[in-house]
Amino acid sequence: MSSSEATAHAAPGRGDPHLAHHFDTQDQQDGAVRLGMWLFLGTEVLLFAGLFLGYTVYRHFFHEAFHECSRALSLPLGTLNTVILITSSLFVALAHVAIKQDKQKQAAGLLVLTILCALAFLVIKSFEYAHKFEVGELPGKWFSNPEITAPGANLYFTVYFLATGLHAFHVIVGMSVLAWVLKGVLKGKYGPRNNVAVELGGLYWHLVDLVWIFLFPLLYLI
Amino acid sequence: MANSANATNNDGGHGHGEHSHGIGRYIAVWLALLAGTALTVITGRIDLGAGNIVLAITIASIKATLVVLFFMHMIDTPAANRIVFVVSLVFSLVLIIGVFGDLWTRNEMSLPSGAPSTLAPEIQVPGTPAAERPAEH
Repeated sequence: MSSSEATAHAAPGRGDPHLAHHFDTQDQQDGAVRLGMWLFLGTEVLLFAGLFLGYTVYRHFFHEAFHECSRALSLPLGTLNTVILITSSLFVALAHVAIKQDKQKQAAGLLVLTILCALAFLVIKSFEYAHKFEVGELPGKWFSNPEITAPGANLYFTVYFLATGLHAFHVIVGMSVLAWVLKGVLKGKYGPRNNVAVELGGLYWHLVDLVWIFLFPLLYLI
Repeated sequence: MANSANATNNDGGHGHGEHSHGIGRYIAVWLALLAGTALTVITGRIDLGAGNIVLAITIASIKATLVVLFFMHMIDTPAANRIVFVVSLVFSLVLIIGVFGDLWTRNEMSLPSGAPSTLAPEIQVPGTPAAERPAEH
């Protein structure tokens, strides 16, 4: 295509190991890759929309039970997890800034911090789950807590475990993606011009944060 | 959306001239998100009636908008990426509004709300006194 565009961006052009043969410039390739990521994130939004719909419908039917059950969750732990996820989002955003400035060590350190935040989130979540199993606040027919008597409490915990479970799965996937990105950073694969992988790993991580921003008030507070 | 033309123009220049204010902006967004979280927690357990859910969703939406615009760079991403994401949000809303239109226009008899339901006895809470349970199974 346009050779003028290639020179305008001072792209190395053919022979650049980071550039797939069907793209003319690095910017064109990065643009296509970003669009693909946004398409995937769009499908993720639709996936979680189904869960949020289930939540709203059952909340409409069993308003009292949902209110009572939300009080059974640990607000301090939920708040702590929210702060952890928001902070990890900041770390991954700063990691992208660092790699754009070619600060490899700083980027690696920030990615390690992000992954540690993800681990902390999962550990706290597992404490919450363990407590739920102890007191019998479980989905469907396994619900056995005598203190919550409003009808529909078991449905609240069905929604709770499905929503937080799917979210926790995304946390695990996000951690793995960021660990893979970290491995690339440590090998020196990314730099100021070639960092779209770091950016997209971050985008996925921000989506995990985004989902939790809605899950937290809906499950813990309302 | 007002600056979409602007953003499309410097589409290719993404990530070149924004280093200086990048970190400051991220930290400002982070502080705003923390403030939003604090506000949600403080107001969440005060009884505002129907106001609670409206306030919680409003704060969550503002926080989500901050994340999408600044952390996810939606504010300076090419228009094609925005269309993809915004369309997914629109369809999520269509899904939710469509289902609620159905719920609101049903009569009470067909809703399983209210204590012991005769329509869906299998979703009763274990431990409910037998007298409250519907007679037929």
